[in-house]
Amino acid sequence: MSSKGNPVAIVMIEDDEGHARLIERNIRRAGVNNELKPFTNGTAALEFLLGPDGSGEVSAGKHLLVLLDLNLPDMTGISILDKIKSNQHTRRSPVIVLTTTDDAREIQRCYDLGANVYITKPVDYENFANAIRQLGLFFAVMQVPETQ
Amino acid sequence: MTAKNIFLVRITAAMIAAGMLIIIAMVGFSYWMLERTGQATEEVLATREIRGAMLDLFSVLQDAETGQRGYLLTSEARYLGPYKEAAEKVDVGFKRLTEVLKRRNNNDDFLERLRGAIDTKLAELSETVELAKAGRRDEAMAIVRSNRGKEVMDQIRGLVVDKRATVEQRLNSAVASQRENASILQWTIIGGGILIVLAGAGAGWAVAGYTREVVQARSQVEALNAGLELRVQERTADLERANEEVQRFAYIVSHDLRAPLVNVMGFTAELNTALEPLRALTSDPSVAELPSAADARTSVETDIPEAISFIQASTKKMDALINAILKLSREGRRTLNPEFIDLGALFNGISASVQHQLVDSGGELVVEGTLPTIVGDRLALEQVFGNLVDNAVKYQAQGRAPVIRVRSRAGGPGAIFIDVEDNGRGIGPADHERVFDLFRRAGVQDKPGEGIGLAHVRALVRRMGGDITLTSALGKGTTFQVKLPRNLRTVSERSGELKG
Repeated sequence: MSSKGNPVAIVMIEDDEGHARLIERNIRRAGVNNELKPFTNGTAALEFLLGPDGSGEVSAGKHLLVLLDLNLPDMTGISILDKIKSNQHTRRSPVIVLTTTDDAREIQRCYDLGANVYITKPVDYENFANAIRQLGLFFAVMQVPETQ
Repeated sequence: MTAKNIFLVRITAAMIAAGMLIIIAMVGFSYWMLERTGQATEEVLATREIRGAMLDLFSVLQDAETGQRGYLLTSEARYLGPYKEAAEKVDVGFKRLTEVLKRRNNNDDFLERLRGAIDTKLAELSETVELAKAGRRDEAMAIVRSNRGKEVMDQIRGLVVDKRATVEQRLNSAVASQRENASILQWTIIGGGILIVLAGAGAGWAVAGYTREVVQARSQVEALNAGLELRVQERTADLERANEEVQRFAYIVSHDLRAPLVNVMGFTAELNTALEPLRALTSDPSVAELPSAADARTSVETDIPEAISFIQASTKKMDALINAILKLSREGRRTLNPEFIDLGALFNGISASVQHQLVDSGGELVVEGTLPTIVGDRLALEQVFGNLVDNAVKYQAQGRAPVIRVRSRAGGPGAIFIDVEDNGRGIGPADHERVFDLFRRAGVQDKPGEGIGLAHVRALVRRMGGDITLTSALGKGTTFQVKLPRNLRTVSERSGELKG
């Protein structure tokens, strides 16, 4: 993953630690070695992304890519997506929604709110692993803009 | 009807009957009064006739006397004319008086006495006239002077005056009684009128009371109806909410079950991957010399792969089950889209999709008669009948070409039955209800499947406001009876919305 020399950090918001581990392993297998910050709940993730004051200034100048699960224990992924995309510092960071929900209305809402990619987690592990590996390959060629 | 209502109805009827009776009584009484009045009038007329007849008779007698006197005074024959004329008229007048009095049932001796007096008078007159004619005028004058004629005349006058008084008294009493009658009639009319008004008012009061009660009862019924409708609506809303909750529950559960399953599958695969280096290690000749090498090798090459394969098979099965639940819940949440559907064309499509399987086994799908066009959800109907036909093909009897017969028949108001009959292996009586349950299958488990097809079919049919039942004989075949509304829209309107 390139960002004109600056390292891209992957922020993974995923409450299922098993899934998080599997995602990480498969991304690594695809040769992506960027820093990966796992969060298991929305509150901690938002604090990292937008800072304790919620202004988002802490993320200014960083290169971030967000991997977001919609089913979180403390808040819905949709409200996290909304906050990321409506904050001037983080709105250009690509957000990849990776979730088990395949409800059409949910998918529409995510794209409406500015999600860049929506991926339904395949239940079948083979497909799941395959999808994550392909996502890793995708990351490898993806350009991530600097946050403002 | 309550006791009070019966009482009110009886009161009303009694009032009306009383009014009718009063009117009838008044009519009868009036008629009777009319009769009486007629009699009185006749009395008046008769009285007048009697008076006239008596007066005429008396005046004729006077005429006769006047003629006699004139002749006696002058001895001129021209006075004899009126005398003779009058004397002749006396009989006529008497006859008339007799008739008139006879009509009035006169039964006293007035007529005899009057006749006697008249005869005496006439005899006196005739005697004097005859004497004068014979030239014995002095003798005649002597008779006149004897005052006999005047006495008789006075007697007659007295008789007539007396009779007139009697007759007039009768007339007066008749008039008085008629006046009395008129006053009775007047009071009767006034009294009857008051009674009729009272009866009418009573009936009106009773009817008004009854009407008020009816109106009250009706408004109560209306209020109850409104309440009932509200309750039905509430219950429907509750049911819909409950249904929605079940659907959501199924959806959430299947999603939440999926997440750990992915972990189980994922880490099982990771274990498999991690086994590779171990396998390399145990097959290393330098390790094989170690005492525990044989056991480790068994573990790595047999036990662990076997355990992993069981875990994987189970998770695959569980995955399939969760997928089935998810599919059902998704179907349950799908919005039905009512449109006109020609069931004949629908079955042609289904027939085409199983055509090669049917041809392979020498079977056929027969649509008996023409199938109707209904308003339904295309996808749901395709799934329902597609599933039934698929099952018929899938569970065909060994050594018998599958024949599937489809026909429609009336199913009560606004509904039809579509029967799908096959000659397949059939379903045992114990399984008739069970086959519609989720994950339950009947008979020999020699065909792939999860046991969701018929559960899905029943859920869909019921969602469309219909139902599905089956009759089956093991080894002979099965007939599924699908009851469907002719118009899905009316069903949807009744349940308030299209989505469940």
